[in-house]
Amino acid sequence: MEQRQLLSGNEAIARGAWEAGCGFGSGYPGTPSSEILPALAELGDCYTEWSVNEKCALEAAAGAAIVGARCLVTMKHVGLNVAADPLFTLAYTGINGGLVVVSADDPSMHSSQNEQDNRHYARAAKVPMLEPASSQEALDFTKLAFEISERFDTPVLLRVTTRICHSHGVVSVGERSVKQPACPPQPQVAKYVMLPVHARQRRALMAQRVASLRRYVESAQVNRREAGDPAVGIISAGVAYQYAKEVCPGASFLKLGMTWPLPEQMIRDFAASVQKLYVIEELDPYLAEQVQAMGVAVTPLPESLQEGELNPERVKAALEGSPPGPQSAPDLPARPPQLCPGCPHRGVFMALHRLRLFVTGDIGCYTLGALPPLQALHTCMCMGAGVGQIHGINQACGAGQRAVAVIGDSTFVHSGITNLINIFYNNSPSVVIILDNATTAMTGGQDHPGTGRTLHGGPGRKLDLAALCQGIGIRHVQTVDPYDFKQTQAAIKAAVERDEPSVIIASRPCVLLSRQRGRPFVVDEESCTQCGVCLQVGCPAIISSPTAAGRRQPQIDPLLCSGCGLCAQVCPQDAIRQAGDTA
Amino acid sequence: MTTNVLMAGVGGQGVVTASAVVARAALLAGWEVKKSEIHGMSQRGGSVVSHVRLAPDGEIFSPIIPAGEVDLLIGFELLETLRALSYARRGAHIIVDPRRIPPAPVSLGLAEYPDDALQRIQEGDYQVHVAAGTTVAAQLGEVRAANSVLLGAASRLLPLPAEAWQQALRLTLKASIVQVNLEAFNRGREFVPQPAG
Ligand SMILES: Cc1ncc(C[n+]2csc(CCOP(=O)(O)OP(=O)(O)O)c2C)c(N)n1
Ligand code: SF4
Repeated sequence: MEQRQLLSGNEAIARGAWEAGCGFGSGYPGTPSSEILPALAELGDCYTEWSVNEKCALEAAAGAAIVGARCLVTMKHVGLNVAADPLFTLAYTGINGGLVVVSADDPSMHSSQNEQDNRHYARAAKVPMLEPASSQEALDFTKLAFEISERFDTPVLLRVTTRICHSHGVVSVGERSVKQPACPPQPQVAKYVMLPVHARQRRALMAQRVASLRRYVESAQVNRREAGDPAVGIISAGVAYQYAKEVCPGASFLKLGMTWPLPEQMIRDFAASVQKLYVIEELDPYLAEQVQAMGVAVTPLPESLQEGELNPERVKAALEGSPPGPQSAPDLPARPPQLCPGCPHRGVFMALHRLRLFVTGDIGCYTLGALPPLQALHTCMCMGAGVGQIHGINQACGAGQRAVAVIGDSTFVHSGITNLINIFYNNSPSVVIILDNATTAMTGGQDHPGTGRTLHGGPGRKLDLAALCQGIGIRHVQTVDPYDFKQTQAAIKAAVERDEPSVIIASRPCVLLSRQRGRPFVVDEESCTQCGVCLQVGCPAIISSPTAAGRRQPQIDPLLCSGCGLCAQVCPQDAIRQAGDTA
Repeated sequence: MTTNVLMAGVGGQGVVTASAVVARAALLAGWEVKKSEIHGMSQRGGSVVSHVRLAPDGEIFSPIIPAGEVDLLIGFELLETLRALSYARRGAHIIVDPRRIPPAPVSLGLAEYPDDALQRIQEGDYQVHVAAGTTVAAQLGEVRAANSVLLGAASRLLPLPAEAWQQALRLTLKASIVQVNLEAFNRGREFVPQPAG
């Protein structure tokens, strides 16, 4: 085994958990956290699973921890909203086996619907939090998190951000030491049954735990002072520390690795040793406000720094009090992401576009259906929400609404099912279209209960989505092939006209999954009238160039075309044919 | 001394694989290295940039290159090269594949592709090397090896040993495509003259 490896932050977390003897890893995919569990599975000798959602993942881990297994639970920042319910009470019961929750935050929303700062969760739930600043620290802090978790009998939050998760660095790796769980579980009612009478006792114990954590953190190696110029002192943590070091290598630093609870005495001593104190942090003024609340003066920084990802330029400008430098040339056309050529979602959005329906949407690749030219998705809030919104719209407006919901298969299983039951129970005439592409495509193609494969790629039990919807009691459940445009459009039209709940399952695997390519299509420029209908399909393989007559001549890039044939189905002149076919 | 390499292209062009090869070559040479890019939405045909910072010794702090400090920009596509240009320092080397991939707004007729992209790149205060990566890769029968052509060109400008490059390609790519990529890499070397000194 090579001792020096190039690991992403996510791989380093997996390695750290593996070395710490982690025996149970669970989570739900979400950028930027998705690569941690597959890396842990790859290292082997540890049970890992994709759970149905983040709450399921944390609750299963809480069980494994009762018998002493060390558990790693991974999710993106918004996933912790879903898992917050168990987290807050898990902080009361304690864990027994070490339990580390990874929250991967996404400043700048590179692949997220919001930019929440999950450091607040540590403070709100009173669980210790570690924040690594590099791949090496991601490995080391994960191991330390397990130690702290067991020593203080508490879940520990490992808070990372996109730049930590997806940056690679050189890491020294170590060996694995395993701990066997103690089965069967022994009842400890006052610890695990949170009746008010027990919860009050645990609340008091929690206060004692926090007090010992505050003592521990004052001397913990994970926080360190770096001597430098006493004129400028910088308190920082996570990747923000790296940016501050990059632009101010000579300053004095207090580098925090544990950011809840804070080492108050250490902070006071550091502040007293420097003339001007700065707190450099990404997103909310989480550290700065706590330092100020201690009565320590912090040099104010522009509020604009709280929005979006930091970088060396922004940190430099903030420290120098100057505006950040110029960004890239502004006159260039943007390159927004698009549904892939041959994406099975496209047929559904083409139909929704033509039927001029209001579409409550959700999160996944299919959210791209909101962009031009399809523009057939009109809401996206949080996972599962579209199925709730369609019900609300229909109940508020009364019957006869021209609105439907779309939801991806993974998202439906994660949090759409309960809303569908709500539709059924409250008898709302809502149409829900499940976009079943047999994977969790947006986050890189992970399996889920509907695919019938597990995290290890092995066979699992396959959830039958149609049977599930019928089992709920929905009478109209129809499966269509989204490559068949006519069938898809007709099914949606019929469902909208019905005064009853219906489900349409548009079933066709993601092209990145099937990797099947048909023969590419070509535009016969003789019969093409340049009407532009095929350009409205929004396929990256269909490019166009201006003609002398001021119209646009479409052409199909044979390297990009997947051969799905949707454009040919809508061309009014039958001018699009499969290569090799004759008119 | 840290060398900063920025790669810019379009999702699906192999930018991230190429940067993994550079980072791995640096690791094999015993260097310190950090590499960073954003996954996610960018993979659905959006812009992709990858930052690689390498140093024979010493510590590298920020995983992303400060603006204006890029020593070598590898552009996989003209528009994306132009977009990343302001990150390059004066006198930086620019390796650019003169390939055009029109983004959606251009195909829809909502925006114009900058036809003078290559000219704008060549007019700047840089040492520009035009490397027809896609064309050469197509000649070799594997368009997806275009990234290796560009790496071959880059290998003339980065002081990493030849064995490290070859080994990195072998370790990073699927076995079935190693050979064609090694060939592409060697062809790429022809696009950059032997550096003086
Ligand atoms: C609570 C929560 N967890 C995870 C995510 C990350 N995420 C966004 S969409 C998505 C699932 C996408 O899969 P699917 O619904 O099948 O649609 P597809 O991308 O395959 O079209 C995930 C995991 C999130 N946004 N919120
Ligand atoms: S990855 Fe799959 S689901 Fe996502 S846009 Fe591409 S084809 Fe569609």
